[in-house]
Amino acid sequence: MLLLPRFDYEEPKDLSEACKILAGLKGNGKIIAGGTDLLVNMKKGLVSPSCLVSIGRIPGLSEIEPQNSSIFIGSNLIVAKLTEFALIRKRYPMLYEAASVLGSPLIRNRATIGGNIVTARPAADLPPPLIAMGAKIKLKNKRGEREIELEKFFKGPGETIIKQDEILTGIILDEPPMFSGGSYIKLGHRKALEIAIVAVASFITLDKPDGIIVDAKVILSSVAPKAIHAVSAEKTLIGEKPTNKLIEKAANLASGDCTPIDDIRGSAEYRCAMVEVLTKRTLTAALKQAKKSR
Amino acid sequence: MKDFSVINKRLPRVDAWSKVTGEARYAADLSMPNMLYAVLFQSPLAHAKILNIDTSAAKKIVGVKDIVTYKEAGTIRYGVSPARYDETMFCYDKVRYVGDEIAAVAAIDFETAMEAASLIKVDYEELPFYLNVFDAIKEGAVPIHDDYPNNIGAEVHQEFGNVEDAFKECDYIRTDRFVNKKQDGGFLEPQACLAYYDMNGNLTLYTSTQTPHYVQRTVSMVLNIPIGKVRVVKPYVGGGFGPKASANTIELAASLLSMRTGRPVKMVMNREQVFMHSRGRHQFYHELTTGVKKDGTIHALKNTCYLDGGAYSSFGIATVYYAGSLLGAPYRLPNMKYDGYRVYTNKPACGAQRGHGGVAARAAWEQQLDIIAGELGIDPIEFRLKNVREKGEVTCNDFNLSSFGMKECLEAIRDRSDWKNKKGKLPKGKGIGVACGFFVSGAGYPIYRSETFHSTAMIKLSEDGGTVELYTAAAEIGQGSDTVLTMMAAEALGVRYEDVKIYSGDTDFGVDLGAYSSRQTLMSGHAVKQAAEDVKRQVLEVLSKRLNIPVEDMDIKDGYIVFKKGPVDFSGIRSYYIKEHRGWAEQPSDDRLTFKEAARIAYIERGTIVSTGAYKPGELGGKYKGATVGTSPAYGCSAQIVEVTVDMETGKVTVDKMTDAHDCGFAINRTNVEGQMQGSLSMGLGEALFEEVKFDEKGRVANPTFGEYRIPTALDMPNVNTIIIESDEPNGPFGAKEVGEGAIMPTIPAILNAIYDAVGVRIDELPVTSERLYNAIKEKERKK
Ligand SMILES: Cc1cc2nc3c(=O)[nH]c(=O)nc-3n(C[C@H](O)[C@H](O)[C@H](O)COP(=O)(O)OP(=O)(O)OC[C@H]3O[C@@H](n4cnc5c(N)ncnc54)[C@H](O)[C@@H]3O)c2cc1C
Repeated sequence: MLLLPRFDYEEPKDLSEACKILAGLKGNGKIIAGGTDLLVNMKKGLVSPSCLVSIGRIPGLSEIEPQNSSIFIGSNLIVAKLTEFALIRKRYPMLYEAASVLGSPLIRNRATIGGNIVTARPAADLPPPLIAMGAKIKLKNKRGEREIELEKFFKGPGETIIKQDEILTGIILDEPPMFSGGSYIKLGHRKALEIAIVAVASFITLDKPDGIIVDAKVILSSVAPKAIHAVSAEKTLIGEKPTNKLIEKAANLASGDCTPIDDIRGSAEYRCAMVEVLTKRTLTAALKQAKKSR
Repeated sequence: MKDFSVINKRLPRVDAWSKVTGEARYAADLSMPNMLYAVLFQSPLAHAKILNIDTSAAKKIVGVKDIVTYKEAGTIRYGVSPARYDETMFCYDKVRYVGDEIAAVAAIDFETAMEAASLIKVDYEELPFYLNVFDAIKEGAVPIHDDYPNNIGAEVHQEFGNVEDAFKECDYIRTDRFVNKKQDGGFLEPQACLAYYDMNGNLTLYTSTQTPHYVQRTVSMVLNIPIGKVRVVKPYVGGGFGPKASANTIELAASLLSMRTGRPVKMVMNREQVFMHSRGRHQFYHELTTGVKKDGTIHALKNTCYLDGGAYSSFGIATVYYAGSLLGAPYRLPNMKYDGYRVYTNKPACGAQRGHGGVAARAAWEQQLDIIAGELGIDPIEFRLKNVREKGEVTCNDFNLSSFGMKECLEAIRDRSDWKNKKGKLPKGKGIGVACGFFVSGAGYPIYRSETFHSTAMIKLSEDGGTVELYTAAAEIGQGSDTVLTMMAAEALGVRYEDVKIYSGDTDFGVDLGAYSSRQTLMSGHAVKQAAEDVKRQVLEVLSKRLNIPVEDMDIKDGYIVFKKGPVDFSGIRSYYIKEHRGWAEQPSDDRLTFKEAARIAYIERGTIVSTGAYKPGELGGKYKGATVGTSPAYGCSAQIVEVTVDMETGKVTVDKMTDAHDCGFAINRTNVEGQMQGSLSMGLGEALFEEVKFDEKGRVANPTFGEYRIPTALDMPNVNTIIIESDEPNGPFGAKEVGEGAIMPTIPAILNAIYDAVGVRIDELPVTSERLYNAIKEKERKK
């Protein structure tokens, strides 16, 4: 039997109360959002917080808020919502794509975007597209608030720069530039409930519909302790006119940009080969969008 | 087609409401006042001598009520087949796999029991361990069981006809190898039980099992309790598929702990323990050599198989026979030779699983036949049609095909799937494949040597006449036996479906060998039908006397008495009944005599009306050694066409469509038959594409979760076109035979053959993961 250990439970009504409780717990407390990672890990005995602090009742954390030239996604928004809002689907299609392949319908109805980030799994689905689109996140504690690039948040599997008393309040995504497009593809065994063998998120920006690539992000997931950039692929793309040949070259370089390991889900060799295939596919899809966008 | 009132319809399951509302209680939901909770202590090593077991620290934990090891349990050997009793409740001399049970702790709650178990200390002397068949049988390997020095626990050598001579007569001969992986049962409900030994020395064991009868016998034997004092009750069960078809350690340990403490004891396996207990599909290494004539006539088959059995025999002695014998049909095969070896390894024990013993052999052979058809330039369906057997034929290994709709199955799927316009005509990356299957409809003999009936049934009419109570020990495990037995009782007796109340899965209700080998519809069905017909006779006899009409001139149908020779004056019975029920809201007013009135009169006349039924197969064919495995009163057969898409760049296979025809003899409940077909297909799809129990270098299960052990999700299952073929089995009740396991047989090879059609590569190792197929595609490109 896997049993849940005993713990206390708090349900603060606002952010400042939550921060106070968390600070008071001095590292023995943990935020609980959907619990789809946390409760599993507690049952396995990997973490044993004395108190869980729910953020479910805090106003504003479960919503999407359009701002001037960006949107704010509350950290407690469930993943299913990311697949439902027309705004996400239209403006940030790669986030929609990633959200719709996360777990299963049951998991998506509980799992939150914030939980997916803070849990920092190497194969988590939402960070790659968010990083590719340059997302920033907001962290808050009793003393104040900071805003950092999501990219800088991750250190390694399960490890981030969040402090014990900090709460991730939300994600900020700028409006995508003109003539940009992105795509996320995850390769798994089944059609649902899959941890990626390999996943790739690509995002490119052109200077005009049939112009050159002015910015390119190729993020590889499940091939390193955290999502990484395919550095040489990105370099090759920037400043060039997009062609099939260029995309193939970038895809080929991408597979050299990672050093995956053999594990229960796949061999290193296969993963490298799939990085090439998925990079090609995501770039092709991204380019098609970029040419169409506005 | 005869005119039936209840059977052959699409009635809702009798347990539909309680399952969809959550009212159904499974073993893990049960509790009793004063109950203790117990957990196992299991070996962390794959193979080691036990030097010392120290439970002293564990005993000191407050709340611990009892700890048992072999010292308390004794070392009576048990297992599945008495010829291979190689297990004891707890290990005493050595442990043979990671998970082997050493002790059990009972405490006031699970937390306390788990804490105490973690304090048990065992000193081991590690032994070399073998995670692979071929290492285990190498010269000099340490025996895992002393009785089997070369680690071969069972071997089979059979020859029918003369294979060497036959090969000389063949125009084309080829040899292929094939290997599957260890598959887990993947049932959603982990094993759980609750045992209570009362003041009178009666043990009641509620357990998640497919075979209450075998569990009862094992518990009685191992704990030395008279069998009449052991009652095994099966609550609702969330799937079994084979691994729950014999007694397990928690059933024995909970019973022992209850006897010692005098309190009810509950035990529940976690998912990791389910993987370690296993008893699922073996890994089979087949080498098949098939010889055919130019015109496509199959002439001879030589089959060699090594089975990775794991640490104990379980059902393995039957498995090793089935891996040979089930290839005896559905084709006309005059010469067949089989050499099978079941090898002990230091892994969880394998046992029976849906399609027992035959699934890998079938996959291997149907793929090979596809290759052969291709080489000869014959369409794979034409090739099969040319060779299939028909009703009334007897196979080279003496299986009597008393009904056999194989040809009809093949023709049906061919026509329904538009095979002619697809085979060889689909674009690259898309493929279509076909395969056939064959299976027993109930093992012809019990697992222990006995002349026992295989199924008994009892029917009692409630004294008011309104309800038919059906008592059977048959095990409803989700497959729908309660529903079909209820339907058969209602049909045979002539009442409505809702008039029958079924009580099942309890050894106090009789003997039933249980839910395995696809036997209950046929065997339990016979017993139930017999009991129902006897009740009918009794009621009609009383009526006959009262009304002075011969029994033959009456019948019972839809809850009414039918007078075949025209209207009869039954006003005496009617007014008597009405008088008895003065003031009641509902009185019979129909101009027909109801069964209720008749049954009431029968009771008034004779006392409680009770009848029994009992079934065992008659004399079955085969006098050779091992003929008891595979002989069955009837045989099911099936054919399938699968269509796939292969992503040429990643190797990922998507199954787009499945068309499946199964000859179940006669469908008692059409929806249930289709459900079994769909379930079998999904299990076959999982084994073909995803499922593999993996081990690390120390012999621990590396993926003991449903996250990393992948059974297909609903999204991975395509729509299935199910076609029911009814061949009217003379040895089955109402003509019915199996569908529970046979339907899985063609799935894997049909997928493999479709993959070949799509990308031109043959895969001889399961599962066909994207990576395996990708590598095969690359390999082929390199060779070009
Ligand atoms: C069956 C199953 C399938 C899954 N499939 C996938 C999949 O396909 N892809 C995938 O990426 N993931 C998958 N997951 C993992 C998990 O569902 C996701 O990571 C999910 O997004 C986590 O969100 P949550 O709200 O449940 O987090 P929780 O479990 O509540 O929290 C996770 C961690 O984040 C911390 N945390 C949460 N919110 C905050 C916050 N606002 N501020 C600070 N800390 C916070 C918690 O303290 C905890 O340490 C799966 C999980 C399961 C059980």
